[in-house]
Amino acid sequence: MSDTVELGGKMVEIDEDGFIQDPDVWDEAVALSLAKTEGVDELTETHWKLVNYLRDYYLEYNMAPMIRKLCKQTNLSLKEVYDLFPSGPAKGACKVAGLPKPTGCV
Amino acid sequence: MDLITVTREEGLRFSIRLRDHVITTDMSVDEGGKDGGPSPVEFLGVASGACLATMVQAYCDTRGYSDGDVSVSLTLELVENPNRVGGIVLDVDLPKDVPEGDREKLRKMALRMPVPATLKSKPRVDIEMY
Repeated sequence: MSDTVELGGKMVEIDEDGFIQDPDVWDEAVALSLAKTEGVDELTETHWKLVNYLRDYYLEYNMAPMIRKLCKQTNLSLKEVYDLFPSGPAKGACKVAGLPKPTGCV
Repeated sequence: MDLITVTREEGLRFSIRLRDHVITTDMSVDEGGKDGGPSPVEFLGVASGACLATMVQAYCDTRGYSDGDVSVSLTLELVENPNRVGGIVLDVDLPKDVPEGDREKLRKMALRMPVPATLKSKPRVDIEMY
């Protein structure tokens, strides 16, 4: 089931878990709005490093990376990833990065 | 190995009894439970993390490494078709005075510790219904 909501000043289709349906509508304003839905009010440089890595990986491989790869490539520990996105890399970070809801990996 | 029993309390909440201990499992509200305890799948992660923490701490205690305690952070990678745990990702923080040589040794030992070794060996799961 999907819904259309306003994110970052535009109407965006999301799924039942709040993941955007079309990765192409993603931009930084949408990311900020998505972050707020996950209880993250501000995106720091470290948040963006993680979000941009996820997004670049997804655009290249059409899937989310494994968590260990995410940690190694961003030089963040698991705990640091959860400190940034308390709902976790899949539900939190991938959502903010505009990825579809991961079915595996992160 | 002592018998472990899992009996229903209410809804999807169950009591797990083993030796003199009672622990509770439940599903999250999203999954039809009342979140009265970790889910069965989460216990798999709990077992892995607790195993690593215990074994690594014992190693450090034996060697006299005491600048901090061992702690473990972990998460589960969930996959579909069928729904299952596709991976368990664990970070282990060691006492600061563990030298690099022993850190490398512990990395190798970790996969031979009982729970990780069990998971890697794909144990037989033998189920009968009465």
